[in-house]
Amino acid sequence: MTYDINRVRNIGISAHIDAGKTTLTERILFYTKRIHAIHDVKGKDGIGATMDFMELEKERGITITSAATYSEWRGHEINIIDTPGHVDFTIEVERSLRVLDGAILVLCAVGGVQSQSITVDQQMHRYKVPCIAFVNKCDRSGANPFRVVQQLREKLGHNAVAMQMPIGLEAGFDGIIDLVAMKAVYFDGSSGEDIRIEDIPEKYAAEAMEKREELIDAASMFSDELMEAAFEDKVTQEVLASAIRQGSLERKLTPVFIGSAYKNKGVQPLLDAVSYYLPCPSDIENYALDMDNEEKLVPLVSDPEKFLVALAFKLEDGKYGQLTYIRVYQGSMMKASEMINVRTGKKVKVGRLVRMHANQMEEMKEIRAGYIGAIFGIDCISGDTFVSGNTMLTMTSMYVPEPVISLAIFPKDTKAEINMSKALGRFAKEDPTFKTYVSEETGDTIISGMGELHLEVYVERMRREYSAEVETGTPRVAYRETITKKAEFNYTHKKQTGGAGQFGRIAGYIEPSMDEEFEFENKITGGKIPTQYIPACEKGFKGSMAKGPKMEFPVTGIRVVINDGASHSVDSSEMAFTTAAKGAFKEAYLRARPAIMEPVMKVVAETPVEFQGAVIGLLSQRRGVIAGAQDEGVACVIEADVPLADMFGFSTVLRSATQGKAQFTMEFNAYKKVPAAIAENLAKKS
Amino acid sequence: MFNSELIFRNPLEPIGYDETSTILNNGGFGAVLARAGVGKTSLLVQLALSFLTKNRKVLHISLGEPVSKVCLWYKEVFQNLAGPFDEKQAKTTWEAIMPHRFIMTFKVESFSVPILEERLTDLIEQNIFIPQMIIIDGFPFNESMHETFTELKNFAKKHSICIWFAVKTHRHEEPERDYMPAPLNNIDDFFEVVVELQPRGKEIHVKPLKGGLTVSDKPILFMDPSTMLVQH
Repeated sequence: MTYDINRVRNIGISAHIDAGKTTLTERILFYTKRIHAIHDVKGKDGIGATMDFMELEKERGITITSAATYSEWRGHEINIIDTPGHVDFTIEVERSLRVLDGAILVLCAVGGVQSQSITVDQQMHRYKVPCIAFVNKCDRSGANPFRVVQQLREKLGHNAVAMQMPIGLEAGFDGIIDLVAMKAVYFDGSSGEDIRIEDIPEKYAAEAMEKREELIDAASMFSDELMEAAFEDKVTQEVLASAIRQGSLERKLTPVFIGSAYKNKGVQPLLDAVSYYLPCPSDIENYALDMDNEEKLVPLVSDPEKFLVALAFKLEDGKYGQLTYIRVYQGSMMKASEMINVRTGKKVKVGRLVRMHANQMEEMKEIRAGYIGAIFGIDCISGDTFVSGNTMLTMTSMYVPEPVISLAIFPKDTKAEINMSKALGRFAKEDPTFKTYVSEETGDTIISGMGELHLEVYVERMRREYSAEVETGTPRVAYRETITKKAEFNYTHKKQTGGAGQFGRIAGYIEPSMDEEFEFENKITGGKIPTQYIPACEKGFKGSMAKGPKMEFPVTGIRVVINDGASHSVDSSEMAFTTAAKGAFKEAYLRARPAIMEPVMKVVAETPVEFQGAVIGLLSQRRGVIAGAQDEGVACVIEADVPLADMFGFSTVLRSATQGKAQFTMEFNAYKKVPAAIAENLAKKS
Repeated sequence: MFNSELIFRNPLEPIGYDETSTILNNGGFGAVLARAGVGKTSLLVQLALSFLTKNRKVLHISLGEPVSKVCLWYKEVFQNLAGPFDEKQAKTTWEAIMPHRFIMTFKVESFSVPILEERLTDLIEQNIFIPQMIIIDGFPFNESMHETFTELKNFAKKHSICIWFAVKTHRHEEPERDYMPAPLNNIDDFFEVVVELQPRGKEIHVKPLKGGLTVSDKPILFMDPSTMLVQH
């Protein structure tokens, strides 16, 4: 196909879980003759949809990673990225929308606007991506596309307009009425591949006129020509479509289409809509930051002749090395050419260039401005900008949300540990929302992600791809010990059995300290403990704080005062007094009524007001002390202090209780004494 | 039920409000009036802390201020009140009373009595928080509030709650009758207790306008401008 950037469309398909994204993509590939047979997402033939090529995806019937492909439709080249719907894999949506020019927001005709619909809408908003909506599953019982249009307006604030009307619904869903052309469209053939255009059935004519008037009203805001034509009642298809396109490109109008991908209805008109109402790369203003000029914004031009500016947005580590997905914004990336990674400043040579079709590749000589491709053999990270020449332009990277859930992970044996380590390194590099670290306090390896499913998938992949058998558990809480009353000590360390001996006596007291972790005060008078041994005494006491005598948790909040002691002219030494101090600490500690402290987090949960009670209830059940609730109109923000030990699994229950509409953050607040019952449990466990 | 190590006295006791009771009966309304910045919130927080240390629950509603700011008020006033006492006792008391205080904040423009009732009913019916005293700070008093206060009064009686209001007065607004400041015109019947903070030079007098001792012309109760605590 000849290169014409005006005929290129880079689109993402995003939606809530199970709205039908992958099924829709499968139909698109079929009708554009990219594939010759349709396979269902979780079909009986076991093959699975084209874009779900991972075994795990086929088995579970979910999309885990985004997959790119391309197709041709009526002279347009359409590059598609099919994305996951689960919030666990939100980074895939994030990175895809960062580099795409337009999107299809798929909605279920029964479920309407759901929790992830809201999230992906926010993501489209973040990257200013124009979108069209597709109300899918019109064949399902309870389907009501106009209700979904209304929800788009009310819940997402879109200026949504129906571009089509259904002919029948649910089991009787037979076709669609195109409100621009004012024709009925039917989908014949075994897979809906044959389009039949007829006049609108009489029983739908009046409603179709009414809906068309609504469409014209909405679109006329974007075209004086349409407004005049509407006054004169001389609206043509071209003028109307042009106005809709204008509104769509400005992101002030959302054209809504309908169909049923599974029943092979409505997809071809959707493809026409993609070609007409979504932007080409040159319709979008892209900017880079000039790092040599105080990050001044530099507009980029989709001209393959200019110098190269490209963004790496996804990595995959495979058997042939790292595969980096690239979007070229300006210039061309040529095979065997050189370019610079702006972040590292290093020159790299372009090796193999490919274009992706799910998990298959097509070799390319170049990737031109406005296109997406992939490159082998370059070491980089997601978000890196590549340029040619001496220009130091960098593109803003994608937004990476913070993880919300953590697990401790334990390899079953040494071999598993090595493999696990490799796996974790790779997954963390590929997925910025998957984080891994070793807890300094507990020594546990911790993995963090966006949800239970997210971590579950990685654990399974570790098993399958790296043969690393691991177990998971809740991360251990970093408890502390402290004392609650004053206790005295008078300890003598003595080893005088012949030869070099050791002697040191220390007396004083320990008491709780409100302000400091450890305080040491020397009140020795008359040289009872020689001055040179005082630091050794302090060292001994401080050293004892590392593991508390009660339950071996680190000790905090102690003030030590030494006021008496004794030494021996020969046998006293620094070591002797350090040991004496340790003994003195142990002696007094258990009499100082030690207590266990736990980390308490400041939790801030944001939720729609209708779930305020539920969220407060959830936090209270977790021993949370609610500070308050801030009403923000449609949402409210609840602040609470909650022990960390009770926060594990909170993200999952919060999602369940609020239909996925609430979110929370937490940060360390303070250490507080654990209740007696919990202290008892901890003692039993140890 | 908890036992607070410290118990703060009722700050209005010296001007005739019964120390042993909670000043207001169930369903009762109280008002603290003053111009901006004179100490309404501080006095209400002292009332709340006195209430909290007597094993009662307080819901503090603030219009226009975030939760964190209201929390700071409580922290500061508590630290001033607990100053003379043992630090450990004070800390224990603070930790004991915190679960019994709930703060709700609203934007002024999106606040209404029906919304308040909806939120409160939610909390009460789900047994999440059942207040015995409510403080409403920042409530926009205007002339046509009779119906609003009737609704609120019925709600308070139904749930056995007393409500204290902070009422902002303005220098230019003259009291119309019975020396009752302007914001309470036509609705003072709803209030069992009305107290006004009157700046006089370097002093702030706490004057009972309704309920309590109204006989003496000499001021008995003051607020210390540096700590905003009530003193004899």
